[in-house]
Amino acid sequence: METRRQFILKGAKVAVAGAVATATGPTILVKDARAAGQLKILQWSHFVPAYDKWFDPWAKEWGAKRGVDVTVDHVGFADVVPRATAEVAAQSGHDVHMFLGLASAFEEHVIDLSDVVSTLEKKYGKSVELARRSTYNPTTKKQFALSDMWVPDPGNYHKKVWTQIEIPNGPVTYEDLVKAAPLIKKVAPQMQIPIGIGLSQDIDSNMAVRNILWCHGGSIQDKDGNVVLNAPETLTALEYAKRLYSVGMTQAVLSWNAASNNQAFNAQETAYILNSISAYRTAQDNKLPVLEHYFFTPALKGPTGIMLASEHVMSGYVVWKFSKVQDVAKEFLVALVDASRDSMLASKLYNFPSFYGAAADPGTAMAKKAESGAAWIAKQCNNDPFGSMPADKLGLLAKSVPWSTNLGYPGYGNPAEGEIFDTYVLTDMFAKAATGALSPKDSMLEASTRAKEIFNKWRKKGMVPGGSKDR
Amino acid sequence: MRRSPLSRVLATVVHRVIILGFVLFAVFPFYWMAVTTFKQNSDLYVGATNTAHNPFIFNEPPTLDHLRILFGQTLYPTWLFNTLYIGVIVVSITLLLAVPAGYSLARLTGRWGERLSIGIFLTYLVPSTLLFIPFSRLVALLGLQNTTWSLVLIYPTFTVPFCTWLLMGFFKSLPKEVEESAMVDGCSRAGAIWRMVLPLSIPGILTVVIFALTLVIQEFVYSLTFISSVQRMTVSVGVPVALVRGDVYYWGSLMAACIITSVPIAIVYNIFLDRFIAGFTVGAIK
Amino acid sequence: MTSTKAKPLEGLRRSDRTLGMVMLAPALTYITLLVALPFLLALFLSLTNSSAGSLDFSFVGLENFRNVIGNPVFRRSLRNTFVFTLVSQVSVIVLGNILARALMKKFRGKTVARFLILMPWAAPISLATLGWLWIFDSTFSVINWLLKVIGVLGPGQWYYWLGDPTLAMVAIITVHVWRMLPFSTVILLAGLTSIPAEVHEAADIDGAGPIAKAFQVTLPMMLPILTVALLFGVVFTFTDMSVVYLLTRGGPFNSTHVLASLAFQDGVLGGDVGRGAAVAIFLLPVLLVLAVVMLRSSRRAEVQ
Repeated sequence: METRRQFILKGAKVAVAGAVATATGPTILVKDARAAGQLKILQWSHFVPAYDKWFDPWAKEWGAKRGVDVTVDHVGFADVVPRATAEVAAQSGHDVHMFLGLASAFEEHVIDLSDVVSTLEKKYGKSVELARRSTYNPTTKKQFALSDMWVPDPGNYHKKVWTQIEIPNGPVTYEDLVKAAPLIKKVAPQMQIPIGIGLSQDIDSNMAVRNILWCHGGSIQDKDGNVVLNAPETLTALEYAKRLYSVGMTQAVLSWNAASNNQAFNAQETAYILNSISAYRTAQDNKLPVLEHYFFTPALKGPTGIMLASEHVMSGYVVWKFSKVQDVAKEFLVALVDASRDSMLASKLYNFPSFYGAAADPGTAMAKKAESGAAWIAKQCNNDPFGSMPADKLGLLAKSVPWSTNLGYPGYGNPAEGEIFDTYVLTDMFAKAATGALSPKDSMLEASTRAKEIFNKWRKKGMVPGGSKDR
Repeated sequence: MRRSPLSRVLATVVHRVIILGFVLFAVFPFYWMAVTTFKQNSDLYVGATNTAHNPFIFNEPPTLDHLRILFGQTLYPTWLFNTLYIGVIVVSITLLLAVPAGYSLARLTGRWGERLSIGIFLTYLVPSTLLFIPFSRLVALLGLQNTTWSLVLIYPTFTVPFCTWLLMGFFKSLPKEVEESAMVDGCSRAGAIWRMVLPLSIPGILTVVIFALTLVIQEFVYSLTFISSVQRMTVSVGVPVALVRGDVYYWGSLMAACIITSVPIAIVYNIFLDRFIAGFTVGAIK
Repeated sequence: MTSTKAKPLEGLRRSDRTLGMVMLAPALTYITLLVALPFLLALFLSLTNSSAGSLDFSFVGLENFRNVIGNPVFRRSLRNTFVFTLVSQVSVIVLGNILARALMKKFRGKTVARFLILMPWAAPISLATLGWLWIFDSTFSVINWLLKVIGVLGPGQWYYWLGDPTLAMVAIITVHVWRMLPFSTVILLAGLTSIPAEVHEAADIDGAGPIAKAFQVTLPMMLPILTVALLFGVVFTFTDMSVVYLLTRGGPFNSTHVLASLAFQDGVLGGDVGRGAAVAIFLLPVLLVLAVVMLRSSRRAEVQ
């Protein structure tokens, strides 16, 4: 029965396509007969443009060796999700789709990649934990995505200014920011925004507010998927944001897009931002005056002693269920992880391998691979091949794993977490509380209500755990 | 009531000030784009608190770097061509559908034509967000994903309704004698339309052409989601995708793209403006 | 107007009727297939929990609507939609009238002025808004630089165009007015041009002052075209999300969303298609009101 219907559908499709073709000329005939010899990949436009220049030919070359024709298309990072929505609705498009936050909302529409992960684990050992937690759903036991890389999210500080206020190595705790802000205003009155942490509807702010929440002991969900946003810890975090905002920030941070904090820092209009190294690479490329003052710190500590930062980007490659070349796609993903070293270098140390073992020296024994990979990564960071002065400016990144975590911490990056991320529920809460548009309590309750709505929706689909201990 | 010379001078001054004000409002963003296009990045990224740094002028020598990026490292000319290509096809389809429909509603459908025409106009109001998902499916069903033909299929959804309605008004304004005299001379209705009505309707048709073209050039949501290959994108989408790289905006090149796209279009609009005005007035009120 | 064949409309010849059907059929078929049916499918989706547009869903009844109505962001965006439409359209009509009148006069450089005033209409909105984004940038805003230099902004004072909910709304409306003004001006110019000179002369003879003339003579004669300009503007603005989406993405804290942009954020970016559709459906009542206005105004045009 099913096959018959499919057959009819196919027939109709051909008929319509044919009719349109005759009406509008011959060029329209689309190669829908997607042979096994073709693999289509959708990628973001990498924040470090040099990466794309490596990736595209590399993928093509891999395809040539494997006997498949590889196409790579790039979209802006903000268009990755709408494009995915369109392709799922269309049930056609690319075979491999790269997400840079959570792919979890699309879990129903992608194939299980457990075999890819186990192949890679056999080859290189386990991936970093935050990568696993961003690509695996323990409730459905599905490996819905594969992460080949992640990006640490350090603090960027203006060394000259921080030296003037006698904190030459930059802030260590969140409280330092509040203390420093008035001093920065004094020594560098020309700076518009002493502390440049975004509270707007963009990806950087989305990461930043999570960092603040976690370091104050709060989180959206607990490790079992119960929504625990409505908690005293959240209030402490919001009160903190309010204090920081009043002493160190302006309304500018409410409007920032992903580029704004970079631009502000590079123009020396702010003394501290939370960002990956792409802003720094831009400053290098353009030889901006800020360069000699541009330095990094690890994640900040909260009053609870927790010191955590969300990854800045977490690649999540999925293979769509509708893809007709799923096996080729899986092979490709393995090959991509194999190329982890090249990937890190091509991105100017922006990408960090999710499988450290994949960066190991050739011929290393299995048990030593992760260690060897870490050593290679550390070597790059401690002696930046891309001209940092001093050469070990990025050295702290080599030690970033302990203070980096995944969206959804302390639980997994499930689809509800993904939807909360994509609809800016948390940045909304922080911005309202910080500016006083709502009291911290009201804004928390508003966000908590919305979060529970989203969680419940996904729980009904059986894809998100918890619920019994929602607050 | 004679006006004194003083009040006449005053009136002139006020008039010029008004004109100047509007011109400044309209042009300022373009001026800003033009300056940005030729500025070096280090001249560009100076915070506005620095009152000593005048952003209106070149503090460092102008550069062609941004133009070089736009033309050398992106497919900008291809996108321009795609936009024009899609525009021409969509306009043709729009005319093929809307001209007969407009005439039919004006002359051949009687009373229910009126209601129907409003129904057709109202479909123009359906927000694209609602149609987005069904369209994705349709495009895939026809095997048109990632082709310019997907846009050719979809774009008339927002040009046909309004243009039909506009043309209907235009045809209504023509005296019925135009066809009738021809029909008395032995022409069929269709012949009369072809020989008498269409030549008289050039201003109306021109209006529709410009109007539909504007809408096509402005569109970006469908284009963003249905086209994934860079070489098939339209200007509205290709430029931001290639030149906004997450946390880096290539401001100079972006601004250059906007201004280089706009100026020729503005020139064309100006040439046809008077006819457009004539066509629109007639079409819209009748 | 009587012609030899003038009969009541019912008396259309049969062959004419057939021709009418044939000529209407392609457009009607196209609209039914590509607008009406997708529209119905979207209405249907609003009652489901479809994720990312897959047709694999279950019914949730009116739950989407219940959640949406309870959501403060939605209520805010509903209000914004009306504010955005009303303020921008009133501004466009008022400014358009002033500008059209100014352009009626002869003056040196008129061609150039007209060309420049028309420019915004020619710019693709996705690129033009980037230009405005750059102008409103919190760090590099040239407007602020200017205000600072001429002393409007004192030390430590600053306008955050896109960071303050009110100013952001002002910015959005400014950009929208900027892009709509040329088109409306052109329409109004058409209306003004069509008023015969004798009408003005007659009014002058009756001793009407300029203001009385504007209200008693010009305005009534302009009414039909004014209605069209307004109607078109309202329709276009009400369902438009481009300026909001490109300029603020609904920020700061989701305070500048309009229904169309919120529907896009929830339905497409957030992947909750049902909810997105539910948000967009709130545009429909207004759509119906517009239908009534249209019916009336078109009847009036016929009476004239």
